Amino acid sequence: MTMFHFFNCAILTFGPHAVYYSATPLSEYDTLGTSVKAALVYLGTALVKLVCLATFLKVSENDGFDPYQELLKAVIGFIDVAGLYFALTQLTHRNISQNHKFQAVGLGWAFADSVLHRLAPLWVGARGLEFTWDFILQGLEANANLVLSISLAALGSLMWLRKNKPKTLIPIIYACAGIVATMPSITSYLRQGLGWHFPKVVGFELFTSLSMAFISWQLFSACQRPSS
Amino acid sequence: MANSKKLGGLREMLESMYSVIALLFILVACVELCDAAAAVDVYRLIQYDMSGSPFGSRFAALNHHAASLHFPPGVDLSRTVLIIPLRELNITFVREYINQKKPLGGLLVLLPEVLSFKTGGNKQVHEKEKMKNLLAELERLLVHSNIPYPVYFAFENDEIDTVLADIKKNDLMGQPATATTGGYKFVIPTAEPKKVASPTMTNIQGWLSGLKTDGDANQLPTIAIVASYDTFGAAPALSVGSDSNGSGIVALLEIARLFSLLYSNPKTRGRYNLLFGLTSGGPYNYNGTQKWLRSFDQRLRESIDYAICLNSIGSWDNELWIHVSKPPENAYIKQIFEGLSNVAEELDLKVGLKHKKINISNPRVAWEHEQFSRLRVTAATLSELSVTPELLESTGGLFDTRQYVNETAIVRGVKLVAESLARHIYGHQGKNIQIFADESSLAVNPAYIRSWLDVLSQTPRVAPFLSKDDPFVMALKKELAGHVDEVNVQHETLEGIFTFYDSTSSRLNIYQVASVTFDLLLLLVLGSYLIVLFSFLVITTRGLDDLISLFRRPPSRKLKTA
Repeated sequence: MTMFHFFNCAILTFGPHAVYYSATPLSEYDTLGTSVKAALVYLGTALVKLVCLATFLKVSENDGFDPYQELLKAVIGFIDVAGLYFALTQLTHRNISQNHKFQAVGLGWAFADSVLHRLAPLWVGARGLEFTWDFILQGLEANANLVLSISLAALGSLMWLRKNKPKTLIPIIYACAGIVATMPSITSYLRQGLGWHFPKVVGFELFTSLSMAFISWQLFSACQRPSS
Repeated sequence: MANSKKLGGLREMLESMYSVIALLFILVACVELCDAAAAVDVYRLIQYDMSGSPFGSRFAALNHHAASLHFPPGVDLSRTVLIIPLRELNITFVREYINQKKPLGGLLVLLPEVLSFKTGGNKQVHEKEKMKNLLAELERLLVHSNIPYPVYFAFENDEIDTVLADIKKNDLMGQPATATTGGYKFVIPTAEPKKVASPTMTNIQGWLSGLKTDGDANQLPTIAIVASYDTFGAAPALSVGSDSNGSGIVALLEIARLFSLLYSNPKTRGRYNLLFGLTSGGPYNYNGTQKWLRSFDQRLRESIDYAICLNSIGSWDNELWIHVSKPPENAYIKQIFEGLSNVAEELDLKVGLKHKKINISNPRVAWEHEQFSRLRVTAATLSELSVTPELLESTGGLFDTRQYVNETAIVRGVKLVAESLARHIYGHQGKNIQIFADESSLAVNPAYIRSWLDVLSQTPRVAPFLSKDDPFVMALKKELAGHVDEVNVQHETLEGIFTFYDSTSSRLNIYQVASVTFDLLLLLVLGSYLIVLFSFLVITTRGLDDLISLFRRPPSRKLKTA
């Protein structure tokens, strides 16, 4: 029964990535290599981030919200954006369209994040006898994270890869990318600074990820129009 | 060549991978932590065989759902742990369950927190007598029946109270356990109980020799003061026996202390040897006392003038009993009784005499002095109990805790025995001289009694579970060695009809669990979520026709290949 629960939570956490890959044209153009490369870049980025966090951050004795530390954490969080930039621009991909490239990179990015952050707790926790809602919520969080990663990758590809985009949209694109990139810090603030409970935080994440995805989709299609 | 090299390299890599995988599995196994909702210390009902027939709780491991007494009628409880707080316990219900051998997954009895020597402290017990009677009755029932499921005792605390309240609520609603309503699973991961191999008994003997004048050719007479120190109770890990026979041990130690003060000065050293005996095996027909006496040489045994056994003298009001097995007309018995009753009169106490003949053919030895009497040594037992206890009763059960023992009673008992002994030793019979008067340097020390009583009330002392060099036994030996000239320790094996099983205490993990139906439902919801997601993505990225063609494709492909 507990193995059953682990199985359920694993489906919720990793299923959407697989569904996304097989349902969209990504599978038809065989972009798996790009995703894997993006995942490897994510691992490297995570390592660099870890080193930075260990170097610059103090271990706080209390669980309170320290604005200075959190600011530092947010700045370090932008290493993610640098990693994503590297994945989008520097990696030599096979000749795939920009459209598919950012999706593949975002997917690989989100999947690596899920494996790195959620698989171990899931394996340890969800197989135990004790029932908690935590792992189901964690699975939902993984879904939100997938949507956010793809949105961020889409915005990144707009920023760095597309040359002829409408001038008026550029500040909006940068603002949106900034918001999406600082999402981890925002949720951390909600959890620790405002003392929100886990379900509420996950609900917020789901809502914002969906709305950010909608906005970036609109931006993307707006940029697509003049070129076509 | 190059190919084989490549293969070798591959094999090497695979082998190193195996070790990495093995390491990973070890890590995963280590990570198998228990993160239970609550973890509670539990104490198992004793499991023992008497003449080959099984008694007590025959199992230790537990992994079942929990139910309270409010379970819906007609429910099959064979895979359920029944959790009963003592204040709600209905003894006829439990008796019916045990006697009719109804199936049950397990039984957990919650004892009030005040009885716990860890957290209860010196809190007062409400409705003392009622609880005592209930516990005694429950203990008698459980100890003397063969119960084919685990039975555990635990102390109430906040954690388990909330769990119990939750379980009760669910039972009242008649709902099966689900994730939202809180089903609880009780898990005690214990190995099957094993027989205690050759249980040992340790007797401690202290010797305080009297003053021997040069002209005295004969051996000095000896007076023995004896108390049995081990216990037996429904839960061996809780069997502290503050009264039976913690009070006897304390009294013996205090008497040894008082006489060591007297004997340290040659002027006040009596012309009697004093022999102090802390014997084991008390609940099992005083098996240890028997072995101890057998080990004496004939001359020592004959030199014993009389022996006084101390048994349960910690919770009496105004009357103590002297149990003897020789008729009261016997001159020696008369002497002991008069010695004690004279002092008792001065101390405003009452002492009664009870005579019970011993039947040599009956293996049951109800009082410690009977072991002396069987070897023709004059002996008497001083006890608050007026009736002879049955086998395995009044030996330190569940209720026999610090709360039920009265220090002042022990102080008075010590005074009574010490005073009468001193009068006998120094030949002051019938004279009104207080040797151990209060406020004098020889007064009984209540602080000493209290501290030892506190120690004993926290130490379970069931003989088969005490090892040869148990810290407690060593502490007793050390304490006695501080008062007497010579201390000997004698190890014996507990022979006879009893076999004991280990695993007397363990930890109960309480998990809040979801039912299988919940997980099935969750799987259904997740499956439909993924299908909807898939359809949505296909429609948005490739259009509705693609989604439809997705289902049409397989037959067309088959046609192509054909």
